[in-house]
Amino acid sequence: MFFHIVLERNMQLHPRHFGRNLRENLVSKLMKDVEGTCSGRHGFVVAITGIENIGKGLIRDGTGFVTFPVKYQCVVFRPFKGEILEAVVTMVNKMGFFAEAGPVQIFVSNHLIPDDMEFQIGDMPNYTTSDGSVKIQKDSEVRLKIIGTRVDATEIFCIGTIKDDFLGVINDPSAG
Amino acid sequence: MSLVTESPVHSSSSDDFAAYLDASLDSGSSEEAEDANDDLETQRIKRCKVEKSENVEEVQGSTSQTSSLKQTVEASVEKDLCTHPGSFGDMCILCGQRLAEESGVTFGYIHKGLRLQNDEITRLRNTDMKNLLRHKKLCLVLDLDHTLLNSTQLMHMTSEEEYLKAQTDSLKDVSKGSLFMLDFMHMMTKLRPFVRTFLKEASEMFEMYIYTMGDRAYALEMAKLLDPQREYFSDRVISRDDGTHRHQKGLDVVLGQESAVLILDDTENAWTKHKDNLILMERYHFFASSCHQFGFSCKSLSELKSDESETDGALATILKVLKQIHNMFFDVLEDNLVDRDVREVLKTIRKETLKGCKIVFSRVFPTKFPADNHHLWRMAENLGATCATELDSSVTHVVSTDGATEKSRWAVKQNKFLVHTGWLEAANYLWQKQPEENFPVNQTKSQ
Repeated sequence: MFFHIVLERNMQLHPRHFGRNLRENLVSKLMKDVEGTCSGRHGFVVAITGIENIGKGLIRDGTGFVTFPVKYQCVVFRPFKGEILEAVVTMVNKMGFFAEAGPVQIFVSNHLIPDDMEFQIGDMPNYTTSDGSVKIQKDSEVRLKIIGTRVDATEIFCIGTIKDDFLGVINDPSAG
Repeated sequence: MSLVTESPVHSSSSDDFAAYLDASLDSGSSEEAEDANDDLETQRIKRCKVEKSENVEEVQGSTSQTSSLKQTVEASVEKDLCTHPGSFGDMCILCGQRLAEESGVTFGYIHKGLRLQNDEITRLRNTDMKNLLRHKKLCLVLDLDHTLLNSTQLMHMTSEEEYLKAQTDSLKDVSKGSLFMLDFMHMMTKLRPFVRTFLKEASEMFEMYIYTMGDRAYALEMAKLLDPQREYFSDRVISRDDGTHRHQKGLDVVLGQESAVLILDDTENAWTKHKDNLILMERYHFFASSCHQFGFSCKSLSELKSDESETDGALATILKVLKQIHNMFFDVLEDNLVDRDVREVLKTIRKETLKGCKIVFSRVFPTKFPADNHHLWRMAENLGATCATELDSSVTHVVSTDGATEKSRWAVKQNKFLVHTGWLEAANYLWQKQPEENFPVNQTKSQ
């Protein structure tokens, strides 16, 4: 799920950035530091959309660095247990398949793939129904349900299932 | 008392319960008629509600206390039932629950953070086996260094090898070349002659794995050279980082039934537990540094500007053996497909090599050494020869290191074959009885 929230961060800025462009420097450093990172609480920071407010800078003793408390608006992405998500399959093997939804890596074990889908080996390993009408292979798009999440400092892992109503392939690359 | 009969746990509707709760809270604790049991129930629910509201990460917290209570009960039952067959990022792959302790075998080469329990591995192997057999395929685990290719550090190249640097093939189209300079890894790699044909033909009979003692980055780089289209190995590249034992290779990380796996490696000691699956390869030494590493002082192939034969080299020989094994496994054996064991097939075919030979050793083992424990003795037996300690007329070969011993002289006199130990080793590598005259024993001392 995406959220538009306000976060705060203390930015350390080198004295060489002081001057007319201080604000721009501060914002570009903030984007570099924050965008693409994860936090366990908020999830993956997709993009900074605006600066709410920059507080008074505090000069650090001894170093000359200045700390600014910055409040910024950003879009975060965090998967939740029970959430339905659309993802792209990145790898298919006999254990199940791996899929990605942006920064989130999802594993769907073959226990959680409908029983009528069977693993097929070959150049393009895939899970196929016995009548061959539905096929999950690399680059397929699937709709899945998250049943477990873990958010690390840099990565988000999820366990998913497609063994439920209205879940499974939504777009087959080989058909298109 | 009406309150007792309408106990919350029996109420199916959560709204009813909420109304009941409001009513009972409004009336306050002064309501003396309330059953002690019921009171306890309410307290428990209240505590639960507080916990729920504190848990900010949980979004699907139900508004209804009864159902949330039921959920926790159900969840705990589910937890007990799930066997946690494996984990991905420390979460069970079946129930999604966070697992505290790390257990099972890591499969980092398939995906980061993936672990599987032994039961699950067995289950996967069984289903996979059926799948493979249907496609008439077995598993083949391939070593890299000295088996499929030879690499050297650029700084270890001798002056006589400098000419190679001008002959390297382009990295843009690796499918044609065989000598590559990998500047970013400070390495030069030479693929063994015949390797492309070997992989192509073997891929039709086997599901292939790479298993190397090199590190992950090296293994992936080599896989790119050998398999630029990623059609042979896909994600089945195992490096030393993925093994479960130090300095050992094991089939525990290979998702193939042990009875259907063949291993191609030049180092027997790496596979102590799986010797029966192993086909020992003659080492491929192209670069001088690789020769020195194994204690050979002779000139390397690169220094001699030569190479193994494309059509007659070790890989071509082994490919023939693999074809023979594959053929025997699927077409000759007649028992149930699932019960067949490739190790037995391997043994049978190996035993054909020196069938009918009776061998006596002379000056090969130290005097006090138990002869039938020596690796040459066992090698000869594995190749199908019979070994003996005493000479008699049925003996066909005398394997000796010295032409002057009594047994050697007897062999010459009786017109039996007198061969060097290399004859056995050659037969072991080439899977064929070698012409005896190519392995003469040094006769100088007898004259």
